[in-house]
Amino acid sequence: MNALLTSAVAGLTAGGTYALLGVCAVFTYRLVAVVNFTGAAIGTAGTFVLIALYEAGFPLWPSVLAGIAAGTVVGVAIGFIMTRWFGEASASTKAAVTVALLVGIIAIGLRLTGGQHPHNMPELFPGSAFRMAGVEVTIASVLTIGLAALFTILADLFLNNTKVGLNLRALADRPMAAELLGIRVQMLSLLVWGMTGAFTTFALMIIAPQRSPNFMTLSLLVVPALAAALVGLFRSFWRTLAGGIGLGLVEGMASSVDSVSQYRSAIPFLVVLAVLLWSQREARWDEAR
Amino acid sequence: MSKLVVSNLSINRAELPVVSSLDIAVESGAISVVLGSNGAGKTTLLEGLSGIIPVASGSIAIDGREIQKARPGVRSREGLAHVEQGRTVFRQLTTEENLRVSLHSGSDLAEAYALFPELVQRRTVKASLLSGGEQQMLVIARALLTRPKVLLIDEMSAGLAPVIVTRLMSAVRKLADNGLAVLLVEQFAALALSIGNRAYVMRRGRVVHDGDCMKLLKSPDELHRLYLGG
Ligand SMILES: Nc1ncnc2c1ncn2[C@@H]1O[C@H](COP(=O)(O)OP(=O)(O)OP(=O)(O)O)[C@@H](O)[C@H]1O
Ligand SMILES: [Mg+2]
Repeated sequence: MNALLTSAVAGLTAGGTYALLGVCAVFTYRLVAVVNFTGAAIGTAGTFVLIALYEAGFPLWPSVLAGIAAGTVVGVAIGFIMTRWFGEASASTKAAVTVALLVGIIAIGLRLTGGQHPHNMPELFPGSAFRMAGVEVTIASVLTIGLAALFTILADLFLNNTKVGLNLRALADRPMAAELLGIRVQMLSLLVWGMTGAFTTFALMIIAPQRSPNFMTLSLLVVPALAAALVGLFRSFWRTLAGGIGLGLVEGMASSVDSVSQYRSAIPFLVVLAVLLWSQREARWDEAR
Repeated sequence: MSKLVVSNLSINRAELPVVSSLDIAVESGAISVVLGSNGAGKTTLLEGLSGIIPVASGSIAIDGREIQKARPGVRSREGLAHVEQGRTVFRQLTTEENLRVSLHSGSDLAEAYALFPELVQRRTVKASLLSGGEQQMLVIARALLTRPKVLLIDEMSAGLAPVIVTRLMSAVRKLADNGLAVLLVEQFAALALSIGNRAYVMRRGRVVHDGDCMKLLKSPDELHRLYLGG
């Protein structure tokens, strides 16, 4: 029992990261209508800038800032591609384009970072925050979950209490009507891409030491992130947050049970399947009434 | 000189010409009415003017400045406002939020409420829950807050009760009287002609009549002939 609890708590850091990445995915979807498969890859690019600078002997925190800046720039660049050339495309076309971009980014990233070559990823927040039921809860897990909650609260405040937030909601509702009113649509969209790029990068920097910090594995964290977003049906930030944490916990527990541990990367898939079936059922229920 | 001058404008849709070599002008303080049956190309014309779709050739100028190559947002900042067909309110936003989106440093919510006092008590209601007439008032007021020089309005009377339509028409007349140049697209001619100054009739993408609104209003036979062709 205690072993199960320990591994569940160990899954919290991953869960916090899934939650934060998922919340960013929902933010992007709601405001610029793109299901973004490059979310984690953007953060990975920023994280590898940190690794490169750190390995070259630069001090840690300036390197972290430079990495976040780089992640922001990559996010804005992808946003530019999406708004400039695919602004009018359908949701599925846009999603497909981000898949293609993901493949491209991974290829370039692996090439630049030397493939499976091991890297020295500094732990930004080593140590444990507190003990819960006799189990150490790491600072990293508290931080990622806290950051995801903070992002959710800030996004809400920002969207509901500022003029830029209001313009973003108008843009999400009817892009053309917003543009006809002189709203600077392209700039606003790039702002969304930049903000999510920055947050995603920081999240990945925290989780990277616990994963094999290889460009591909980190980029593919987008899969559990999108599974979390799906739990929130790409609308609710809080349900996405809960979905991400839940996913991390289940994954953690699965890793301690020998018979299922080698299938644990399939868990996001099971979650996606369950949510889709469940929402189907609800739709059928609605029809029947 | 006219506020809005459209010369020799052609617009294609799916590669086919829908608006061909069209000339139209709108003066400050006046309403130019564009009439025409279904599919004549009226909406296409307005969408080309505001930049929703590209124009194939010709020019569009406000105060002599050509804008036909600019993005919609730039045209808006040059003084063009387009009230689209179909009452395009921001559905998830309240009435007041809809208005605040287009609020500029030089404009004031009070102007919108002065034009349509009906909206005051609907301030905090989600726009998707407003009646059709209220939504139409909202999109006109919203366009007004961008401080336009030229206002394009597409079929604002569609699906509304006659008393509401009369109300909207008189509001639009008031805007023109305050100096705005208005291009009013309508399918139902009589009311539009009664508040308008210059009348254009379009058929299959071309202007087939350009004259005085009053004169056309007094000769329904002529109007009928223009609509049906021949
Ligand atoms: N998206 C589109 N793609 C291709 N053709 C289109 C498109 N929209 C309109 N058309 C065609 O362009 C022509 C003009 O349509 P438009 O909507 O401009 O007419 P309208 O005068 O506004 O008609 P209505 O009074 O019904 O609103 C029609 O023949 C229509 O079939
Ligand atoms: Mg039309």
